[in-house]
Amino acid sequence: MIVTWRIGLRIAAVIVVTVVLQISFFSYLAFFGTTPDIVPLMVITLGLLGGAVVGAVAGFATGLLLDSALLGTMGVSSLVLLTAGYLAGRYREGTEISNSLVPPLLIGALTTGVAAGFAALQLMLGVHAPVSLLVLREIFVKGLLAFLLAIPLYPLIRRILRPAIVDDVVAGTARGPITAGAGRARRSRTRRVRRLARVS
Amino acid sequence: MVLLIVAALVLLSTQFSESESGPLHSMQRGVASVLGPLEEGASRALKPGRDLVNWVDETFQARGENSDLKAENAHLRAQLAKAQSAEGENQQLRKLLGLDRAGTLAGYTPVTARVIGRSPTVWYSTITVDKGSSSGVQMNDPVVSGAGLVGRVTDVTNGTSQVSLITDNRSAVSARVLPDGPQGVAEPEIGNPDDLLLDFIDRNQPIHQGELVVTAGWSNGAISSAFPPGIPIGEVSDATVGEQETYQRVHVTPAADIRDLEFVQVATGGPPRPGVPG
Repeated sequence: MIVTWRIGLRIAAVIVVTVVLQISFFSYLAFFGTTPDIVPLMVITLGLLGGAVVGAVAGFATGLLLDSALLGTMGVSSLVLLTAGYLAGRYREGTEISNSLVPPLLIGALTTGVAAGFAALQLMLGVHAPVSLLVLREIFVKGLLAFLLAIPLYPLIRRILRPAIVDDVVAGTARGPITAGAGRARRSRTRRVRRLARVS
Repeated sequence: MVLLIVAALVLLSTQFSESESGPLHSMQRGVASVLGPLEEGASRALKPGRDLVNWVDETFQARGENSDLKAENAHLRAQLAKAQSAEGENQQLRKLLGLDRAGTLAGYTPVTARVIGRSPTVWYSTITVDKGSSSGVQMNDPVVSGAGLVGRVTDVTNGTSQVSLITDNRSAVSARVLPDGPQGVAEPEIGNPDDLLLDFIDRNQPIHQGELVVTAGWSNGAISSAFPPGIPIGEVSDATVGEQETYQRVHVTPAADIRDLEFVQVATGGPPRPGVPG
């Protein structure tokens, strides 16, 4: 990912909007007794799009913001999310993503890891109440929900950060320089070609 | 990466060691104050959407219903989502008024607050409400809904407060079973927000399903409970005694619908509670 200050601003906006949406919308929903969590999903997506450094920094910043907004213990979310962002970025740097199902699957698996890591950290820090086995259900359902939510949300975040994604810029250069309105022109050209194909 | 991990660990240990008025806590309250209005706006704007999604989930779970009725219901629900949302708010506010009049909060000044945010994890069962120190809210103020006890205030900014729910892992409420009055401590079972465990009830005390559990509100002069006596906590759902155990294992279903809180009432002021920091 080519991180300019404009892209940095977009990433910051994505982080803030995600945290606000999580606290004000997604945390109120319940599927199979579990709340969907889009925060790890967003961090892992940033890692997959931007690499290990972007993923780790985004994870750290998101964790700080989340812990501050919820007045929770600072550092816990940061530690877990930066690890998830870093791992997603390392995967991206070492492997070519050829199948569109790979990102949602990876997001689901890493979100399960985030939920398990968060639980482990809480147990290490000391929990005063008995822990129900339903925590295991919570961990796995969170992963499953992240997988399902990643199907629409991964392409959305990718679209928001598109000008910075190396693959897209290279692909765009092969067809011609990327300029303002180029996407519209390309779509219009495609429509023209399809129309001609129908006529002939 | 290493730097970030070290920074996270430093933050974590600093937060544990510093006092409530320390720089990290102050910074945290600053960020929470800035995000408060954003959360409030988003919460209000997204409420119809939340209601609709939750209704879809509830409908999915109700498998026995007739499919035609479901389709008709879906149509009607979609049309009435906004109207029902307003009616629900109205009912919750009426119930709050009822609990206030019942006298359980006698001596307190109730402040009605809207829930604007909730924690996404079962490990921290907290909500954020839109009333803070500017409305007279203080740390450890009891928080109730129309049905019963919700939790207590654990952090306050100027315009918002954090409420730790009775299902939070740090929560422990001294409680009394009615009508006979054995006392214990109501604790959460992490991962199961629909259940509380009432601990320290002697194995020989008779406890029956359906009995009401309320706050004990004790005080010995030097220390006291953070909650006034008589606030409903829940209803006994099950009581078992292990062979080698001194105490019973009493399960309590919370009276308040912890997962679906829209309005709550913060009991501010009130009589002095020795040993409870305010």
